[in-house]
Amino acid sequence: MSWIPFKIGQPKKQIVPKTVERDFEREYGKLQQLEEQTRRLQKDMKKSTDADLAMSKSAVKISLDLLSNPLCEQDQDFLNMVTALDTAMKRMDAFNQEKVNQIQKTVIEPLKKFGSVFPSLNMAVKRREQALQDYRRLQAKVEKYEEKEKTGPVLAKLHQAREELRPVRDDFEAKNKQLLDEMPRFYHSRLDYFQPSFEALIRAQVGYYSEMQKIFGDLTQQLDQPGHPDEQREKENEARLSELRALSIVADD
Amino acid sequence: MAEHGSDEPSSRTGSPDGEGRVSADRPLLHQRLAVRELIDTELSYLHMLRLCASDIRSRLQQLPQGDLDVLFSNIDDVIQVNSRFLHDLQETASREEEQVQLIGNLFLEFQEELERVYKVYCASYDQALLLVETYRKEPELQREVQSIIEAVVPQAGPSGLSFLLVIPLQRITKYPLLLQKILENTAPDASAYPVLQRAVSALQDVNTNINEYKRRKEVASKYTKVEQLTLRERLARLNTHTLSKKTTRLSQLLKQEAGLVPRTEDKEFDDLEERFHWVSLCVTEMKNNVAVYRDNLEAFLRFRPQEYDLDIPGGPVVQYCSLMRDLQLQAFPQFQRLEGLVWQPLCSLAKALAGPQNLIKKRLDKLLDFERVEEKLLEVGSVTYEEQEARHTFQALNSLLVAELPQLNQLAVRWLGQILCTFVGLQRDLAQQALQRAEGSLAQLPHYHLSETAFRKLVEDTLGQTGHQLRSFQENFEKVLPPPTTQPLLPGAERQVQALLSRYGPEKLYQVTSNVSGAGTLDLTLLRGQIVALLQNKDTKGNSSRWLVDTGGHRGYVPAGKLELYRVIPSQEEVKGQEWPHKDSRHLTPEPTPAPVPSVPAVTQAVAVYPFVARSSHEVSLQAGQLVTVLEAQDKKGNPEWSLVEVNEQRGYVPSSFLARAPGPALWGWSLPS
Repeated sequence: MSWIPFKIGQPKKQIVPKTVERDFEREYGKLQQLEEQTRRLQKDMKKSTDADLAMSKSAVKISLDLLSNPLCEQDQDFLNMVTALDTAMKRMDAFNQEKVNQIQKTVIEPLKKFGSVFPSLNMAVKRREQALQDYRRLQAKVEKYEEKEKTGPVLAKLHQAREELRPVRDDFEAKNKQLLDEMPRFYHSRLDYFQPSFEALIRAQVGYYSEMQKIFGDLTQQLDQPGHPDEQREKENEARLSELRALSIVADD
Repeated sequence: MAEHGSDEPSSRTGSPDGEGRVSADRPLLHQRLAVRELIDTELSYLHMLRLCASDIRSRLQQLPQGDLDVLFSNIDDVIQVNSRFLHDLQETASREEEQVQLIGNLFLEFQEELERVYKVYCASYDQALLLVETYRKEPELQREVQSIIEAVVPQAGPSGLSFLLVIPLQRITKYPLLLQKILENTAPDASAYPVLQRAVSALQDVNTNINEYKRRKEVASKYTKVEQLTLRERLARLNTHTLSKKTTRLSQLLKQEAGLVPRTEDKEFDDLEERFHWVSLCVTEMKNNVAVYRDNLEAFLRFRPQEYDLDIPGGPVVQYCSLMRDLQLQAFPQFQRLEGLVWQPLCSLAKALAGPQNLIKKRLDKLLDFERVEEKLLEVGSVTYEEQEARHTFQALNSLLVAELPQLNQLAVRWLGQILCTFVGLQRDLAQQALQRAEGSLAQLPHYHLSETAFRKLVEDTLGQTGHQLRSFQENFEKVLPPPTTQPLLPGAERQVQALLSRYGPEKLYQVTSNVSGAGTLDLTLLRGQIVALLQNKDTKGNSSRWLVDTGGHRGYVPAGKLELYRVIPSQEEVKGQEWPHKDSRHLTPEPTPAPVPSVPAVTQAVAVYPFVARSSHEVSLQAGQLVTVLEAQDKKGNPEWSLVEVNEQRGYVPSSFLARAPGPALWGWSLPS
């Protein structure tokens, strides 16, 4: 109905100062960014720990399968080596599980909790927006009457409109103020909130790698295999392969 | 070439009176000549070898290096061995009486080495010949090769390269013959005799072994190739010959299964095969498991939690990010040496085992052939040449496998063990690297000094507190309530609402969002905007989408989806009294007193606020202040900007915004100025 002489609901004067609007946008923008980052971080962290667990389990399977091979019954040396390996892998897996549990408790859960505040925030912002729309509309209405010729019915309408406007405006102001107060405080709270989690995360990693170093260090001692440099290892692999290939029953290609 | 000419035996010049002496010396002479022949031929042989290895080989530049390796094989090794041999041979010349014995001993000394180098050369000779044949087919190349050879060794003749390459073969087979000649001319009681005998048989053994080795190699190379044939290719390979072979084998196998024919039990082989089978299983499983491990590692490294930006400038968060970045950039790439040091070798090992697997299968096939031939031999007493060949093939395969499987098993297990150790070493290295990098960050952590248990308690407590704080934030945000409802109240409804309010309280009041038409006997029919009080948020069957409500007059069920919590509007006086005492408290947003936005309710009176001129027959004209009856608050398309009104007995559409409610009974909470 475009022939209606004026658009309904757009006030002429700027009811919310530009600075206020800008501040609001900025604060809310920061929070929206934070929401996105924490949500993705939480998801990725979960995927990372899942992959970590899978990796550890597949390492355990290596030694488990070896242990169940009949060669172990025939070859004492082989059995000893594989048993030692199996013990080490199982212990590492246990430590890994504990590490992941710790991460779950101190990082992933808190991230989730943090993220759960955002829906309420977003709803609050929406309601403020709704209130703003109502405010604008009623403001426009008041202005409309104010511009008209001051006849009796007009004055009656004007008064009525003003009466309607007042509570709506107050409602909006209140919401606006509340959010402008709360948003920065919430944003700021991330500092205190995340530092403990990440400290716990670092400590969990360090604890795990310490165990890993100890267990595998002991194992290499036990297997009597000093740390060879890579070139030497490669040479040995080459040598083993040539030995095999020297046999006639091994195809050379 | 032996210079027989100048060393003619002096028997021709023998005179009757010297016969006795000559005849006694004859054997000795022949012996001497034979020895001479041995040494001289050795000399020229070595000379020829050297010509081939250096002069000719270096000039054959147009041939690729691979070809040259095949042609000349291990000729350098042969030259090495033979030159030492020659040197020692020549030294024996000074020890006249013992020479023959020394020569015998020399051969026994060199027996092993000769076998070792010559078997390799002989085994690859066939391949070299094949290569020579291919050259012959290219006339251009052939001419070049020929000219080079003729320049160096004129006596090579037209057969050139093959003439030269066969020389070592001729030599090794000549040794027994040369020795035999010396032996024949040695007195059986001479001290050298037994030595020479042993030397002769030794060299004969050498030749036998060389042949056996060659045969095994041929058999092995025929069957180890694990051919990747498509089904079509396999079918194409089938012909009557292969089919008959296969059916014969199958029937043999069946006969064995049925117990009609004894199966050749070979415990030694079976044990070897069993062990080999376990070794293969080990390798295959390990390879698969490492593959899975690699995949998981890759997945793990894909996720980089450190790349997210929480806009936190310092502290553990930043430390964590830099630690993770470090690990990813440095420690883990190191760990991926796994690829070359564990995965690749495993693949090579697995591949190497494929050949023997194939051979074992083939052996079984050949065994069945063998058994059948044995049967036939028993029955008939003779077998065809082909059947004889089949027997030999089986025997060759079998002895080859029995000879080499133990070593294979041992080597494979040894290698596997080394690979495992490497795997473990890599894990340890990773841990070391990670710890090194973490050392720095660890010391900077605020609670570095705390024990793990103390720290965990601290974190738990802290998280509890911050959790509280978060909850309060959440509550605060939730207290930002929806704006006052814009649903209009039906006229006459205010008193009803008040009655419901006083009976049930404000939390139980709901407003109907759209017209409800009841279907069953207990269902209510309500209009949009009506207020009801909630009695039960589910029906008698437990269906929570059907609520029991009280309209103030009637009770019944309405769909829950059509009800919205109704925010009760306190009276204006009440609000003024409150004066918003919690103005600066964060916790309570005082409820304002808006009026429902005056849109035109259904079927009611209204006053035209502005004049309106109808422009079509659908519309009706209005005068300012005119009283109208609103029939519908929207047009036929549901557009609320138009209302259907009746004025002056005329009906038509007018813009809804031009109407205002008639000053009717005071809105609850409102009082209009008079």
